Parts: sequence; C-alpha cells; structure tokens
Amino acid sequence: MAGSAVVSHIVTFGRVLREAGLEVGPGRVADAVKGLDAVELARQDDVYWTLRQTLVSRREDIEAFDRAFDAWFLRAPLKRPGATKEAPPKRGERRKGATPGPGSEIDGGETSLGAWSHEELLRTKDFASMTPEEFARAKKLIQAIAVARPQRRTRRLRPDSKGRALDVRGLVRASLATGGDPVHRAFRSRSEAPRKLVLILDVSGSMEAYARAMLLYLHAARGSGRGVEAFAFGTRLTRLTHELGSRDPETALAAAAKRVMDWSGGTRIGESLKAYNDEYGRRALTRGAVVVVLSDGCERGDPGLVAEEMARLRRQAFAVVWVNPLKGDPAYQPLAGGMRAALPHVDRFLAGHDVASLEALGTVLGGIERRHAA
Amino acid sequence: MPYASIDELESALAGASYLPDRGLSTALYLSLKLEKPLLLEGEAGVGKTEAAKAIATALGARLIRLQCYEGLDVAHAVYEWNYARQLLHIRAAQEGTVDEAELFGPEFLIRRPLLEALEAEEPVVLLIDEIDRADEEFEAFLLEVLSDFQITVPELGTISAKQRPYVILTSNRTRELHDALKRRCLFHWIGHPSLEREIEIVKLRVPGVPERLAAEAAAFVAELRLLDLQKPPGLAETIDWARALTALGTQELDVENVSATLGSVLKYHEDLLSVRDEALAGLVASARGR
Repeated sequence: MAGSAVVSHIVTFGRVLREAGLEVGPGRVADAVKGLDAVELARQDDVYWTLRQTLVSRREDIEAFDRAFDAWFLRAPLKRPGATKEAPPKRGERRKGATPGPGSEIDGGETSLGAWSHEELLRTKDFASMTPEEFARAKKLIQAIAVARPQRRTRRLRPDSKGRALDVRGLVRASLATGGDPVHRAFRSRSEAPRKLVLILDVSGSMEAYARAMLLYLHAARGSGRGVEAFAFGTRLTRLTHELGSRDPETALAAAAKRVMDWSGGTRIGESLKAYNDEYGRRALTRGAVVVVLSDGCERGDPGLVAEEMARLRRQAFAVVWVNPLKGDPAYQPLAGGMRAALPHVDRFLAGHDVASLEALGTVLGGIERRHAA
Repeated sequence: MPYASIDELESALAGASYLPDRGLSTALYLSLKLEKPLLLEGEAGVGKTEAAKAIATALGARLIRLQCYEGLDVAHAVYEWNYARQLLHIRAAQEGTVDEAELFGPEFLIRRPLLEALEAEEPVVLLIDEIDRADEEFEAFLLEVLSDFQITVPELGTISAKQRPYVILTSNRTRELHDALKRRCLFHWIGHPSLEREIEIVKLRVPGVPERLAAEAAAFVAELRLLDLQKPPGLAETIDWARALTALGTQELDVENVSATLGSVLKYHEDLLSVRDEALAGLVASARGR
C-alpha cells in the first residue's frame, strides 16, 4: 500500500481539483491511490497519466486538471485564465442596481386586479423592462414551461394489437396451448421517442437583458427528458448540458455561469456556430435533432460565415429554429447582418422576449415538421 | 495480471502490432491492475477499437464485441430465444405434451455478446463499442451488468460470470455518458499520435511501405490536421492511405499521386475541394521538405 504521505497528498490534490470545478468523489481518490501504488512514482509521466485517468472523467476537465497538476506537482505558477476576463454577473446583481422606485408604482397599480390577470400581465411583459420582483415571479413561470418535443419512430418494437410486425415470441408462447399451431397471432409495432433537442444560447452583451430568462428556459428544457443538449456562446462556445443537469435552477445557473467565460462580452455567432459544427455536429449530435438558436443575430464578425455555418447546421438537423427576442417588437425588421444571413437557413423564426413567447416556442417545437418555411 | 509493469505491457502490445503512447498503455495497465473497465474517448479513427483488439491479442484472450446503436435492446445485447426452433420442437413433440421449462432451456437460448462474455470459460476482452449511440435505458442496464457481472434471464435464473471479463468501452461523445457509468470506469482521452509515433505505426501496419513514403504520408496528414477541415483525418486514414500508395508502387509523394489518392484521406467533398491546386502543392512540398 502507498505511504500515508502519498495518500494525504492525493486527498489534498482531490480537494484542489474540486475547487477547480471537477467532480472528484472518494471513490476516485481511492482509485488514484491504488493506481499510484501500481506504477513507478519516479516517472512523472506515469504519475500524470495515473492521476488523470482515475480523477478525470470528462474531456472538458482535462485542461483544468493539467493546470492543477502543473501547479501542485511541478510547482509552476498557477495561471488563472478566467481571472483577466470579466466575471459573470452574480444572480440578480444587475437588477439589484436598478432603482426600485418606478417599479413599485406599477405594482401599486395592479394590486386591485386579481392574481390571474396579474400573472397574465407578467406573461406578456418584455423581460428587458421587468423589475427585479417581476423577474423573480416570471422565473417561476419559465420553470413551469413544459417543453414539448417532436417525436421520432424508434427501432424498438412494442406489443400492439394493431401493429404490423408479427410478435414471434408471443406467438411461441400462445402456440404451446394449441400444440404448436399458431392460432392466436400477436403483433408489434414501432414505438415513438422524443427527438433530440439542441439549444444554443447567445449570452453576449447585446443579449444581456434576455440571457438569464433564456438560460432558465434552457434549464427547463434540459429537465424535459433525455436527449437535450445545451450550449452558450459569446465569443466562444461552451457546452452547458452537464451544468444545467441539476434539478434546482439556482444551482444549475450558478454552475453554468461558472463555466461560461465570456458572459456579456462580444459576439461571434459565425465562429461559435462553426465551433459547434466542428466539435459536436461532426460527432452526429445534430443529426435528426431539432436545433434552436437563441440570439439577436447582432454579429460583429463576418455574416458570410454565419450563412455558411447555418447551411451546414441545416443539412444535418431535422429542423432549425431561431428565437430572437427583438422580434417581439412589431416594428422589428431582421436587417442586422448576422440575422439576415441566417434567415434563409432557418425553418421557424420566433420571438422570445416574454414568458408567453417562450411558452409558444414549446408548442411549436412539439409540432414541428421537417422543412417549414420561415 | 500477466504484466508486472507498463513497459512489459507495451512490449506485449507491440507484439500485437499496436504501438500505444505512454498514456494509453498506462490506462490499459491500470484497468487490468485495478480490475476496472476502461472508457476510451477520442475522435473517430484514433484507434479506440484497435486498442481493444490489440490487448485481446496480447492477453491471448477472445475478443467479444458489442456494437451499440440507437434502439439496442436486451434481445440483441444479452440473449434471445430461438423461436423457430421452439416452434419446430413443439410440432415434433405433437404426441406428447411439451413442458414449458423444456422449451425455455439452454439449448433454445441464443447468446448475444454480453451473455457470451459472462459465460465464457476462457479469458475474454469485452468491447462495448460506441456506447454513446445506445439509449440511456440500455446504459443503465449496462451499469448493472458492470457492477455485479451477472445477468438474470427470467426463465433460467441468474447467470454469474465465471470470471470477470476485461471490459473496454468506447465513445465518440455524441452525448454525455451518465456519471454513474463513468464512476465505474477509468477514463482515457486518445488524441492524435505524434509524428514520430505515427510513422512507426504506419511502418508496422503497412507491410512493404517504403521508409520515405511512410514519413512523407504521416507528415502530410499531420499538416492536414492543422487545416480547418470538416473531418480531419485520423490514424486509420493515414494507414489506409499509405496502404493505397504502397499498392500503387509509390516511392515518394508527388502532386499527381496525392491528388489521385486523396479520397482515402479526406472523406468530405468540401474538404477535398479546399485541398486543391496550390494548397495541395504547398502541402506536398512541406511534407517532403522535412
């Protein structure tokens, strides 16, 4: 067995990794200790691989592990890549800054109305003009949105008296009673399962007023069942599927905010979509999925790239939906370069500026068919 | 555990025509030593499946492979009853009565990879390939199998492993696997090999490849990976390509033979279009220049 010095060293290292955001349970630490016992401690590369293979279980975590390993075992100065960038705003921080004065006026005016209409008003209020109190209440509504998903047929067969495939297994059992003559026939048919859903959210500066509400929506969608993938981007793409997996929305949002490095920064839609297509589309994540892009389409980069990558996305996806909060304004025209470039490759173009429009999105997703006109 | 050190395992794998880097051999060694399944992830064509085949050869074990796909169910992964045979049996025994227990006996059982691996008397390597393609229900079922190494067939009872199979899982990361499954496994991410190693692998895997051609082909592919391609070529593509060039009697790369065979390296039309003319000539020149 490894010496107790090694054990306490690894236990502490496990704590360092946890602080860096990795999930390192006691089982993994025990494996790491057992593993180190089996290799040459004098060989630094063997120690590195042993610790990485026992303590890391996701590719995304390898970078953080490498930094921690260098700092801990090689005594290299700890670089903090996130330190130079602006930290993501804490929950409600931005809204806390708003003076509550004018907001209470609206509240006062509404007290005479019943709770139902109160909620109704909230549903159609633009997220950007909500007071912190209103947003807190709207949050509950967003969390409650049931995200409907289109169905696909599966390969698996289920017993169904109206089915068309013969259920041979059932037939054999039934034939026992009739001396091997298949008198009673049983049938099976293909069943249905929800389609994959991929949500890609723009969290750049211009989307700031909507990003939190939409992130809550992503969390609600993530909880709607299997096969949901969530991403965020500003200038770079971040996969949030894992972070949004937590049941509690506050925990999930905090985890997501920790992961996203470029919150409220610049926008590079084309490059972010390209990163998605290169990294995830290539691994068939898009194939057969309904892909929803939530963005205002304000691109700082080349609109040509947006068009190219949207075309690529659409070739693989079952359907592509674009949700733009600006579309809530009746006077809005999709003139921004990025938006105009993307539109020809979008099956459905929807608003997403208030609770009601997000609810409508759920309905659209549930009934979507291939190749709708925008 | 037949290997006393990582170095020993490495030379056994080299004997099976497989040259892993230190990271992969450490992973294979640890998973044998700690008796834990190994989860291999990486881009397509970096040699995940090959690793399982090589360790099976090195261990002298039988390789049992379960290829996962969407909709994979117990009937295709564990066992299924041979219904046609059962029906014939009932017909043949018309006179007497057929006992149901007889009908659901081992001779009517079709063994699929998981059951086969558990029932094996000899050492086996169980390769569960592309687990990310299977449904999550199946993943949960697999988790159960990997914790207890036993399977329950309702008609026959519980079947426990005679000996623990050595398990390798691969994933292309089309979706995130369940944490519970990952917790059971050691994890290794396989990247593209270094240039020197890739040359070694090509020489080992392509008999009769000229030394110079192996080096130039590997260098060319390494250059391709730096380009912005939809599907950068993996190690498998380098090997295929070197094999094609060798079959054509090529001694060294030039613009003609590269353009004629590039289809075995680049699999997307867009990628082929982007590596043409001057770009191609430049790449050939720099691959030859080293």
